Amino acid sequence: MKNFSITAVVAGAIAIGGAGAAQAWQPTKPVEFVVTSGAGGGTDNFARMVQSIITKHKLLEQPVVVVNKGGGSGAEGYVHGKAGKGDPHRVVFGTNNAYLLPYVAKLGYKPADLTPVAALALDEFLLWVKGDAPYADAKAYIEAVKAKPNGFKMAGSQSKDTDQTLTSMIQGATGAKWIYVPFQGGSAAATQLAGGHVDSNTNNPNENVGQWKAGQVKPLCVFSPVRLAKSDPVFDGKGWGDIPTCKEAGLPLETFQMPRTVWLPAEVPADAVTFYEGILEKVSQTPEWKEFVSRTAQTGRFMKGKEFADFVAQDEAANKKVFEAEGWIAK
Amino acid sequence: MITRFWAECAMALTTMIFGLGIVWGALDFGIGWDSSGPQPGAFPFYTGMLVALASLGTIVVTTARRFAGNDLLGEIFLDAERARRVASFILPVIGFVVLSATLGMYVATVLYLVFTMRFQGGYGWLPTLATGFGAALAFYFALEKFFQIGLLKGPLERFLGF
Amino acid sequence: MDNIANLMHGFSVALTTHHILLMMAGVLLGILVGVLPGLGAPNGVSLLLPLTFSMDPVSAIILLTSLYWGALFGGSTTSILFNIPGEPSSVATTFDGHPMAKQGKATEALSFAFLSAGIGAMAGVILITVLSGWVASFALRFSSPEFFAVYFITFASFIGLGGSSPFKAIVAMGVGFALASIGMDSVSGNIRLTYDFDVLLAGVSFLIAVIGLFGIGELMLTMEEGLRFNGISAKVRARDVLKTAAKLPRYWVALLRSSAIGIWMGITPGGPTAASFMSYAMAKRSSRRGANFGKGEPEGVIAPETADHAAGSAAMLPMLALGIPGSATAAVMMGGLMIWGLNPGPTLFTDRPDFVWGLIASMYLGNVVAVIVVLATVPLFASILRIPFSIVGPVIVVVCFIGAFTVASKEFDIWLALIFGFVGYFFKKLDYPIAPLILAMVIGDKAEDAFRQSMIFSQGSLSIFWSNPLVTTLMSLGLILLLMPLIGTIFRRLRALGKTRAA
Repeated sequence: MKNFSITAVVAGAIAIGGAGAAQAWQPTKPVEFVVTSGAGGGTDNFARMVQSIITKHKLLEQPVVVVNKGGGSGAEGYVHGKAGKGDPHRVVFGTNNAYLLPYVAKLGYKPADLTPVAALALDEFLLWVKGDAPYADAKAYIEAVKAKPNGFKMAGSQSKDTDQTLTSMIQGATGAKWIYVPFQGGSAAATQLAGGHVDSNTNNPNENVGQWKAGQVKPLCVFSPVRLAKSDPVFDGKGWGDIPTCKEAGLPLETFQMPRTVWLPAEVPADAVTFYEGILEKVSQTPEWKEFVSRTAQTGRFMKGKEFADFVAQDEAANKKVFEAEGWIAK
Repeated sequence: MITRFWAECAMALTTMIFGLGIVWGALDFGIGWDSSGPQPGAFPFYTGMLVALASLGTIVVTTARRFAGNDLLGEIFLDAERARRVASFILPVIGFVVLSATLGMYVATVLYLVFTMRFQGGYGWLPTLATGFGAALAFYFALEKFFQIGLLKGPLERFLGF
Repeated sequence: MDNIANLMHGFSVALTTHHILLMMAGVLLGILVGVLPGLGAPNGVSLLLPLTFSMDPVSAIILLTSLYWGALFGGSTTSILFNIPGEPSSVATTFDGHPMAKQGKATEALSFAFLSAGIGAMAGVILITVLSGWVASFALRFSSPEFFAVYFITFASFIGLGGSSPFKAIVAMGVGFALASIGMDSVSGNIRLTYDFDVLLAGVSFLIAVIGLFGIGELMLTMEEGLRFNGISAKVRARDVLKTAAKLPRYWVALLRSSAIGIWMGITPGGPTAASFMSYAMAKRSSRRGANFGKGEPEGVIAPETADHAAGSAAMLPMLALGIPGSATAAVMMGGLMIWGLNPGPTLFTDRPDFVWGLIASMYLGNVVAVIVVLATVPLFASILRIPFSIVGPVIVVVCFIGAFTVASKEFDIWLALIFGFVGYFFKKLDYPIAPLILAMVIGDKAEDAFRQSMIFSQGSLSIFWSNPLVTTLMSLGLILLLMPLIGTIFRRLRALGKTRAA
């Protein structure tokens, strides 16, 4: 153990020295990774992947302890982050719910209680229908839904979360109208679609890949400005890169993506933010991270500083519009 | 001296207040039934109501039986000797929880075990200290080191630099 | 039989010294996390997960599933010895297991529990072997109405048990339901009943309630009675384990029925907790010694344990075949599968037969290893009861509160556990049944979600619960179970009336 920690210190020092910039701040005790989802959730996989890469490449000289605080769809973790005001040893992993949750629920934290650090990837959303559904493309399906308002069912994760927001955006852009059925999570939405109990869902690639492989579901389009990265064929000779973007498919809705974000509590030293930015940027460049991103068909995109802040502002505004239109804003 | 009758009534009153508290909390979320089924507050509202009504039922039944002269209800719920025994157990437990929250769980564990074994159990200092520190160390290695789960810490741990 | 050939191939993959050692290590670690309340199989699995990244998938899953078996066994151990269920699914084991231990029959209770658990698990694995293809497509037919019907059956089978006042049973169940609805409501996306306290955001964990109600509450009662476990002098002999094993065949009806219930709940997928409660209720209803239940009846240990493990292992099938994690542990394991580069889902059986059948074979072997390992620990655990209670008692207190804290690393939870301790003490003294409270806490919110999802499906019409043969059958079964005690009472009254008239 002792031996290990010495090597870790040396390796850490080299790694940081290698970064060039004189970084004043260093963790002085074990670093806590707060995961804003339960064990096994998407954010949990994200944080544990980052942890395993940091450990493998010895990017931190202090040990990392992962804590799951997924209550209130992540609010518990952010509140925990708020409680660590000024403590840069508490790193919070989440999604865009960090700044969206306080809109739809009355919670004990505000986005200002967190310091943005970086985003490492964008999770994509696709429009899926059952494998044997008669629709050749997204346009045909939307037309069918439009012809029969409230005759089709859309499955997704809990209400007022990303899936329902996206459904609302599609409805706003096309005039179609679904019955939205909220389930406990993406995997339940996937099996409900495979079993034919609902007509479509807007799952992330990772949540539906098993069912797609078996031909039980099929993707119609991806809500991204560009197509997904090319991949090995998943089903029937088609891979992720062969799925048209929704814009190509004739849907007037270009993009809907969910950032995988990292935060620190408020009032931490600026050096500490720079320190974690550096480490996370290194993580995002490792082959393990690239492999993780492509396996889960996410889009790897490292954002920090102003780029990240701009992204947040834009994403927040787009979502807020939907929340207001749907009357979801918590009083 | 508390008789069973008063204990029954006090408990029923407590659960009734709990039920009404749930009812009050549920009112914020709509308790009706709309096109997509029950509103979010409906389930808690009706369970709260049910708890409150059933508690009321207990009070009514208990009181009726009392006046009908049910012997069981006149029984003593907790006599002085039994109350003393329960208190001698639960007061140190409450102390342990308070110490856990203020001094941290390791210190609290040692103090609590030492107190119960030495002063309540009448064991010698050696087995007492061995058990107290042994338990704290066992938890430290099993949780902190192996499973990497931190327990509540207090001033002592901070002083030692954890 | 294709499956048998596949299984034989699986055995050739799983049966290596390396794997057997991994199984033993996994089982021992599992017992450790199972024995500590608060630390459960999901914690154990997620902590070991990083260690498995460098292993090949078969070894990795063998380690994790063995830990899972070990945790299930460890959970039963504390249920029996200290009345503290280590896992939700071993709550029902406390009802008769702990009374047995108090009567000095701890060895017997533990041996019965482990052996019947082993048999239940075997039944589940055999089912997986034989029916893997069929079950996968069957589980797809389950949607919200069917889920609700399964929960309804569980509640229905449990109502009418126990002799306490119906008002008190309603209060207990209602309190459980209310506690279960605190926190995020996924159907509406609202956070309910937190009264603006941040500590309630994640809801009230069932484990905290159990630690308080059973652990602390039970200790208070024991102390009031004057500091003793009855029958503390009972000798612990290794031979008793074998003697108990010889008695087991006598309970073949209970074993068969409980396995069937467990398997059914595992694949439907109602889960091990619902299975163990339902199996206990069914055993009590159908046993000739039904009146002895709750006072230390071996069948009351055998029934929930068999069903719990049958459901636990049968539930691996939906996870592998459909990618539905049936439990928190399964969800963590699924995360693991993805990290090892496997995609759980319908194609896993065809894509990676070596992995799937290696895993299934390891479930046979792992359970045999687990039963042997835990039986070997029975004398050790049973002899804990011989340590003077003035030492064991305080140590249990410490374990309870540390366990309560580790559930979610929240200080609030230790206060909550203390409150639940008082509730448990007064509830027991005043004959409030605790089992309905726990049952409602564990599956109450799931039942509510399933009901409201069904209502969204049908746009508010209850007819959805009779909309297809599957859900109709399930709902009718539930109604029959619900009304049976009532019909029985009416029938008896009528007969008594007839007799008085005749006389």
